[in-house]
Amino acid sequence: MATYTGGNTTGFVSPASDSLEGSIDLAEVLDLRRPSRYPVRVAGDALAPRGILSGDILIADAATPPAHGRIAIVMIAGEVLVAQLAYRKAQWWLRSGTAHTAAIPIDGDAEIWAIITGLVRTKV
Amino acid sequence: MPLFGLIDGNSFYCSAERAFAPELRGKPLIVLSNNDGCAIARTAEAKALGIKMGEPWHFIQKRLECRSVLWRSSNYAVYGDMSRRVYQVLADRVPQVEPYSIDEMFLDLAGIPDLRAFCRGLKHEVRQIAKIPTCIGIGPSKTIAKLANRIAKSRTELDGVCDLSDPADRTRLYADTPVGDVWGIGGRTNLKLEQAGVLTIADFLRLDARAARDLLTVTGARVQAELRGVSCLPLTLMPATRQGIAVTRTFGRPVEAWDDLREAIAAYTTRAAEKLRAEGLEVGHLTVFAHTNPHNGDPWYSSQRAARIEPTSDTIAMIGEAIRLLRAIWHPGFRYSKAGVMLNDLTPAARQAGLFLTRDPIKSAKAMAALDAVNTRYGRGTLRPASTGLTRAWGARQQNISPRYTTQIDEILMARAF
Repeated sequence: MATYTGGNTTGFVSPASDSLEGSIDLAEVLDLRRPSRYPVRVAGDALAPRGILSGDILIADAATPPAHGRIAIVMIAGEVLVAQLAYRKAQWWLRSGTAHTAAIPIDGDAEIWAIITGLVRTKV
Repeated sequence: MPLFGLIDGNSFYCSAERAFAPELRGKPLIVLSNNDGCAIARTAEAKALGIKMGEPWHFIQKRLECRSVLWRSSNYAVYGDMSRRVYQVLADRVPQVEPYSIDEMFLDLAGIPDLRAFCRGLKHEVRQIAKIPTCIGIGPSKTIAKLANRIAKSRTELDGVCDLSDPADRTRLYADTPVGDVWGIGGRTNLKLEQAGVLTIADFLRLDARAARDLLTVTGARVQAELRGVSCLPLTLMPATRQGIAVTRTFGRPVEAWDDLREAIAAYTTRAAEKLRAEGLEVGHLTVFAHTNPHNGDPWYSSQRAARIEPTSDTIAMIGEAIRLLRAIWHPGFRYSKAGVMLNDLTPAARQAGLFLTRDPIKSAKAMAALDAVNTRYGRGTLRPASTGLTRAWGARQQNISPRYTTQIDEILMARAF
């Protein structure tokens, strides 16, 4: 298969041939090759108020330190959850995106697994 | 003076599974070999139940006390990617790293101040970023670092870091450590040493160089020097050029039909050809073998056939040659349990004179590049020669394999929005 890149024209010399830069590499933009980066798929719409929808691909970074208000992946009670972190009373909490659900303390064996740094939505 | 660290993942395959599956944490978990045959990784909880390395799964399943054991089929796509993450975390923080195996890396720790604190920090970061708990052994030679790592693993009070760089610590330890714990002194050698009355490392170091050589050949003197703190094995940063590539597998169940065996050999050849191209090599000598399993009462049959071929890395051409060889060794009526393909006489691609080439090398290179690109992007085996089979009756049994969390977009970790 012949590949036309925008520069290798057959008739007139392409004025772009010295300026070709290739297409944008999203893995590079999202820094996916860093050892701390993990893709995570969202299930459920509880975080819709934060603009995170079911089916979205989150870019989770395991090297980013947790901070109040950030969205995190948390492994808790045998489950993988994504929610907003809160720091209160010398303790990390997972705050639900829905108003009527109480926050849960992140203690015992629970782990703040990674902090969300980006989002990819393939279908809009 | 050189100083080495050996960092290794605790029950690496199990830890990689647990990284993505909180429901596996704190519970006895084992990972099984290809075909779900036997336990090849065990968590501390599984070891506590008495499950041995290599113990067959059908034995474990029958034991009452093992009813609660969780298990997974081996998922090398995940383990390989987690190993890559461990390596990258280390390489960002240590001047030189040698990936010794999928779960062990040697580190160059020379000149690092406050070593124990540094190593504890390293452990913490590997755990946080690559999600793998580890232990680190430190010593002036690789052999001592390896021994220290073993101690770090067995003595929980050390918090996963054991430093044997002080000769006084080593002298104390050597007096009551079995010589069989030393890297490179395995079963048979250990037996020979035992018969000669050499039980501890201290005993072994008391042997004069001549006696050590008589018992362990040339490696004897090297192991002695390494144990005394004289480094003889430097870090290897580049793996040696390959002598050969082999793809061999035990079948999920015995294979009798020619078509099934042919498919299996075509699939193994396909994988071998991928490895070959990934390293920019061509093959000039091909071997195919198949045998039965006499341990389950089948009659023993084993045969292999090899041939010199026109150097190539073309999957289709290699399958043609492999099937030709297989035809010569296949006999009906046998239940084959294992088969494989071995490539030798590897040379860098396109260095051959090409005077009498019968294949079009450029056309082939383009086709193979396209094949590899598709399979890299969409997963191994997406595009494959039809001769490798569609149903794969001979394929490995992997009844409980976890998703490829980090390498396939359709299988990534799911998180419930809370």
